[in-house]
Amino acid sequence: MANIAAKRIKREFKEVMKSEEVAGGAIKLELVNDSWTELKGQIAGPPDTPYEGGTFLLEIKVPETYPFNPPKIRFMTKIWHPNVSSVTGAICLDILKDQWAAALTLRTVLLSIQALLSAAEPNDPQDAVVAKQYRESPQLFNLTAKHWTNVYAGGPSSIFDFNQKVQLLIDMGIDEHQARVALSTYDWELERATEQLFS
Amino acid sequence: MAETSESQASASASAPGGDAGGEDDKRDERMLECNICLDTARDAVVSMCGHLFCWPCLHQWLETRPSRKVCPVCKAAISRDKVIPLYGRGNTKQEDPRNKVPPRPAGQRTEPENNSGFPGFGFGEGFHMSFGIGAFPFGVFTSTFNFGDSRPSAAPHGTAQYEEEQFLSKIFLWVAILFVLWLIFA
Ligand SMILES: [Zn+2]
Ligand SMILES: [Zn+2]
Repeated sequence: MANIAAKRIKREFKEVMKSEEVAGGAIKLELVNDSWTELKGQIAGPPDTPYEGGTFLLEIKVPETYPFNPPKIRFMTKIWHPNVSSVTGAICLDILKDQWAAALTLRTVLLSIQALLSAAEPNDPQDAVVAKQYRESPQLFNLTAKHWTNVYAGGPSSIFDFNQKVQLLIDMGIDEHQARVALSTYDWELERATEQLFS
Repeated sequence: MAETSESQASASASAPGGDAGGEDDKRDERMLECNICLDTARDAVVSMCGHLFCWPCLHQWLETRPSRKVCPVCKAAISRDKVIPLYGRGNTKQEDPRNKVPPRPAGQRTEPENNSGFPGFGFGEGFHMSFGIGAFPFGVFTSTFNFGDSRPSAAPHGTAQYEEEQFLSKIFLWVAILFVLWLIFA
């Protein structure tokens, strides 16, 4: 049955390559090894979202039982989103779990993940901290997501205030990413973030 | 979420590609592709919702999620009994694919083997009331004659078990005769 997995991935790969989404730059797929068990996906941040202009890399692992079981996918690019862990990149998406259907393909899955970036599901969060901010201070959430997109995914919007606060903590000897996480978690209140980092 | 992107996906897949007949041919071929392995469907079956699969592929899908049997394409309810096998013209056998591949694991049962028991127990069948009952020596004697007649539990003629039973019954017959003689002369 591993045979069916490799055969199908090969077929899907060809189809993705010919698809208009690849032509339009919305998604990309790349092989990682010769055994077709691991691939690298790429999606463009959808327009009119804080992820716009960013490029997000995804790790795709194809189980031996594919397509009867879903591929294992996580974000390799750090992202601030209620349904993605800001730490591990794990994605909370029903079709990657119990709603998986054998007729779904890597192409439709990548498009679904892209759609998730446009429409978060804060009621089914993967990252509780992010989800809380998303619900309670949507404007701050938007800025934070934009900032992460700028720093980690090559997005265009640099947020001066945030950059400055991160730099302040770096100057205090804190690791850059750690500083960013702490500030993002405490709604960019320098004092609370510092307190947490030094406690 | 899934719904959105799926409809997006199918919308773009069915969007008119425009030009040549080559495209059309490809689309015709795709019509006959299994929705699971994406290859040309073999032992094809079609669901009530109209989706085409190889039977082996659909069977494995149903086995993977026994508690949630839904169409892999549209998530309508689906089951073994509600798919229709498709017979093309070239297919001479017209055998229902559901009957041949793959044998359903749950439906298999092997009959217990007839002569698998401990051989010594073979003679328990006729002798269980015979030993050490001094008061009924002749009961022993008669019981030995139960062998060889066609009780339903007796092994069929010609088998090893039958031979064995015959052999044992002869031995026991001699033991019984000796026992009777001993009773008489002792
Ligand atoms: Zn198939
Ligand atoms: Zn269907």
